Amino acid sequence: MEQDAQLVQQCLQGDGSAWEELVRRHSRRIFNICYRFTGNGAEAEDLSQEVFLRVYRTVGSYRSAHGGFATWVTSVTRNLLIDHYRRTKRDRQTDSLDDAMPVVENKESAGRRPDEQVLLGELSSQVQTALKKLSPELREAVILRDLQQLEYVEIQHVLAVPEGTVKSRINRGRIELARILQQMGVRPS
Amino acid sequence: MTWTCEQTEARLSDYLDGVMTSEERGAFDAHVNTCERCAPMVASVSHLLLSMHAMEQIEPPPRLVYAILDQTLGPRETLTGWRAVLAWVRGIGSVRFAYGALSMVATLAIFVTAAGFNWRKPRLADLRPDVIYRNADRSAHLVYGKGMKFVNDLRVVNEIQSRLRQDSEIPTSNESTVPQSSPDKQPGRTEGTPSGPKQQNRANDVMRRLEVLAEEMPFVAAPWIAGAEAGSRRMP
Repeated sequence: MEQDAQLVQQCLQGDGSAWEELVRRHSRRIFNICYRFTGNGAEAEDLSQEVFLRVYRTVGSYRSAHGGFATWVTSVTRNLLIDHYRRTKRDRQTDSLDDAMPVVENKESAGRRPDEQVLLGELSSQVQTALKKLSPELREAVILRDLQQLEYVEIQHVLAVPEGTVKSRINRGRIELARILQQMGVRPS
Repeated sequence: MTWTCEQTEARLSDYLDGVMTSEERGAFDAHVNTCERCAPMVASVSHLLLSMHAMEQIEPPPRLVYAILDQTLGPRETLTGWRAVLAWVRGIGSVRFAYGALSMVATLAIFVTAAGFNWRKPRLADLRPDVIYRNADRSAHLVYGKGMKFVNDLRVVNEIQSRLRQDSEIPTSNESTVPQSSPDKQPGRTEGTPSGPKQQNRANDVMRRLEVLAEEMPFVAAPWIAGAEAGSRRMP
């Protein structure tokens, strides 16, 4: 966190390598949030670029006293995702879910058997499909909490809503997502 | 404490996140165990959480970082012609490259030497795979043999040392240990320690071993032999 603040300072002094380091440190996380929200690799890539472009232009307004750089970048991402959601609402109504271009997920983690990896991959794509059917407010809350493992306080900062609202959205999001998965025929083993 | 289905739904995340009091938890469990509506909901949400926590981060395409950097810092300058050659040569001159090259050469030299290549009289035949294999095999056996010999030598030296220590602990003369007129003298017992045969045998045994050692490793055993001979001369 302190290292981020230091890199931001160097960045503001015109250090290109500091900016490059910041991009390398946060691009994976931002891409993942975008992908989980949109469910589309190409869209997630475009949105990630847009996020960093906006961060680059407004990095001067970042104040470390108001929270970590990661939280700030996440809130920029969240705002862009909501804008994107509203912008593409009409297009989405005519599109089918099958048009989404899935990304090959990194399932080659050490210590997992191939059959476990296959099961996980299947479940992961089912969860991804179910996420798209969730309302954007509940979706972003669940993604930040359960896929990005953010604390409630951090989510509160990112979404700019009271703690009670955050808790309620996460709770409703989880129940709704489980219901959608049940409707899709996914049963707890 | 009574618990309702609405409470179960509203407090489900608190239950799963483990932030309930023990009393609330007990009431929650009691309700869920008996409620047909809530039990499958709790099971499916907890299963969903486990699944989501097991989901892994997706690797973004490698071009993403470069695309972001190009958009923000501007496209990177691609060198052409003699500038590209100059940049390449400058790269070779860097300290990191020099270290890398040096370590690679050293590694290669070690491998080639281990494979039996003679640097003083280099022959093309030494580079044939079967010759390399034979030489490497021979070197490995030699190293193993030398190692085994060294370990055995150490074992012999250690044994001799321990024998000598044992001998030095056993009293060598009657006078030095047992007083002439012992107050514990008892009838029917011979006075003093039994003399020589046992000690003499041990001394002979040690001397024999030292002689064997002297044949094998004269530089190690010579001082002990000298010492042992001096000691034996002193013995009555």
